[in-house]
Amino acid sequence: MLIDSMLIVKAIVYSISIALGATGVTIIYNATKTFNFAHSSMVGWGVYVVFAFFFLFKGLPQIYFPIAFIFSGLLGVATYFTVNRRLIMAKASDINLMMSTLGVDLILFAFLNIFADYLLYAHKISIAKNFVLETWDPYLSIFGVSVRLTWVIAPIVFVMIFLFIHFMFSKTRIGVAMRATIENPALAQIQGINPDVVYLTSWFLGGGLAGLSGGILAMTFTGRPSIGMEVVVTFFAGAIVGGLETVYGGFLGGFLVGLSEYILPAMLAPTVGSWINSYKMIIPLSIMVITLLIRPSGLGIMIKRRVRI
Amino acid sequence: MIELNPLVELIILNFSLGLMVAISLNIEVGFLRIPQFGRLLAVIAGAIVAAAIPGRILALYLGMPAGIEYANHMYNFRIVFEINRFLSKNPLLSITLFLSTMVMAAIVGGVIGYLCAYPALRLKGAYLGITLLTFGEIITSIAWNYQPLVGGTTGVFVVNPFGFVGRGSSSLAVISILVISIVSYVYAELLIRSPFGRMLKAIRDSEVAAEVYGKNAVKARAETLVIGGAMAAVAGALWAIYTGSMKASTYTRLTWTFWPWAFMMLGGVGNNLGVLVGVLLYTLARTAIIQYKHLLTSVIPISAEWLEYILIGIVIVAVILYKPQGLIPEKPALTLSRKTIEKIKDKIDTSTKNYQQTT
Repeated sequence: MLIDSMLIVKAIVYSISIALGATGVTIIYNATKTFNFAHSSMVGWGVYVVFAFFFLFKGLPQIYFPIAFIFSGLLGVATYFTVNRRLIMAKASDINLMMSTLGVDLILFAFLNIFADYLLYAHKISIAKNFVLETWDPYLSIFGVSVRLTWVIAPIVFVMIFLFIHFMFSKTRIGVAMRATIENPALAQIQGINPDVVYLTSWFLGGGLAGLSGGILAMTFTGRPSIGMEVVVTFFAGAIVGGLETVYGGFLGGFLVGLSEYILPAMLAPTVGSWINSYKMIIPLSIMVITLLIRPSGLGIMIKRRVRI
Repeated sequence: MIELNPLVELIILNFSLGLMVAISLNIEVGFLRIPQFGRLLAVIAGAIVAAAIPGRILALYLGMPAGIEYANHMYNFRIVFEINRFLSKNPLLSITLFLSTMVMAAIVGGVIGYLCAYPALRLKGAYLGITLLTFGEIITSIAWNYQPLVGGTTGVFVVNPFGFVGRGSSSLAVISILVISIVSYVYAELLIRSPFGRMLKAIRDSEVAAEVYGKNAVKARAETLVIGGAMAAVAGALWAIYTGSMKASTYTRLTWTFWPWAFMMLGGVGNNLGVLVGVLLYTLARTAIIQYKHLLTSVIPISAEWLEYILIGIVIVAVILYKPQGLIPEKPALTLSRKTIEKIKDKIDTSTKNYQQTT
């Protein structure tokens, strides 16, 4: 069975993007018990921050990834201060927490579209609503094989983020404080941990990861304002399959969903026919549904037993 | 046949469909706290029924291709055109067809609700909400890609059962939609006053306590999902019939899941009257935005569409922050009307008085 090596590389880059975004969902859910619907617009803003900075200040698109991270992180912080904080204090039900982020999502989505219109009309960027940043992605030559810069940068970013989160949650004070708050908010407060700081950090990290995954997504997909809305179900599937209980679940679920969406159709296509490519979005979602029906709290629970996070 | 003003027609249409979907959500979310983020699933299933079945039956009857060719965009418009011409001469058949389409949509929606009951038993909270949302995405993707069903990306035309009145057929359609939505509102109101409705609220408030009293929470959940799914599917079928075409991409989770959620939260979760008020307020606001679009865009340089998104986003956030119970909070449902209860009370009072006087 031969699978195109290009396809595998693309699948990995896509999976990295999904894994980062899913981890963002998981971190926010873990700390604040809020399932963040606003993730879709935060991803969309990540895409557009990279696009706008690249077009206004030139250079390589990849150097604006940190700005996408910070911008979407600040969106998360703003969401926390305006909406989420009050609801957590009022002990709102989880349905209300979810719905409030949906309201935020609609507002952010509207502003994203207004921003795209602004780029289109004020800056005369004709492709502002439909662009392929991949064309500006330079080729590198590594051992005589020409590869795109994103294919190298995305794994590096992923490993960095993974190590950062691992060390943060296991070694630093804020990470341990976050874990304590996740386990038992009341006890953590007695020990002098300020839950406000924990929630704030989780919103910044979660939003930031959404922005970063949007940046990577912008390098592989056609960018448009609705891109976040289109992929967000896959992000949710990744987060849920991994299990919302542990941060590593997001990484695991993201890879499971991302790889299955690309590689399974390619493997099945020679035997069942090429029609399966049209349904490639259904495959990861079905995997998610089946996993959940067998194991209602996701796969992450298995890691949790071993690693204790 | 009377013809309504297009604006009035639009308001009634949006109000009725919004009401049906929001009420069906309210039955599941308000009465039983199922995080139903997959409303789109039943709605689009109803639309598929309306688009795929009645047209094919009539095509068979009239001796036209009803198989894969029916959904082919090359033949579909001609077939549907012929069927519509045939139907416009047969009022009785049209009405029967319309009603049977509604019944079929309700059955399919109910079956889908029943299938959702299994995950609804195993999963909790966000897991269930996202799983249901995913079901909606899966069925949309199938309808969009599987061409023989409802035409895939090109869509199909839907048979118009109101053609027999000639001009003003869309007004008749809107009035029928309004009638059906009022019927479903009354049904939901009767449901919540029935013993079944009270059982649902008991399970919602404390499942363990309800089970102690011998209430079957599993069965109640499945039945609620069936009722909600059937109602939403009828709404989807009505929308497909009104628009006269069915294209999977026009059914998004935003319009058929999230906006009804917003209506429901604005009006008051668990209160049918509140939901009605929420839908009405929002429909009027939305129509006003569309109507005064040019005026608005000259004041603020924003496309009116995004203004609508911002408005609904702010409404959702503000309601949850400042009025989590909605405009009209849920009240204990009175099983008898207030008058009857007062009459009974008077009777008891007088009889006790008489009793005291005699002793």
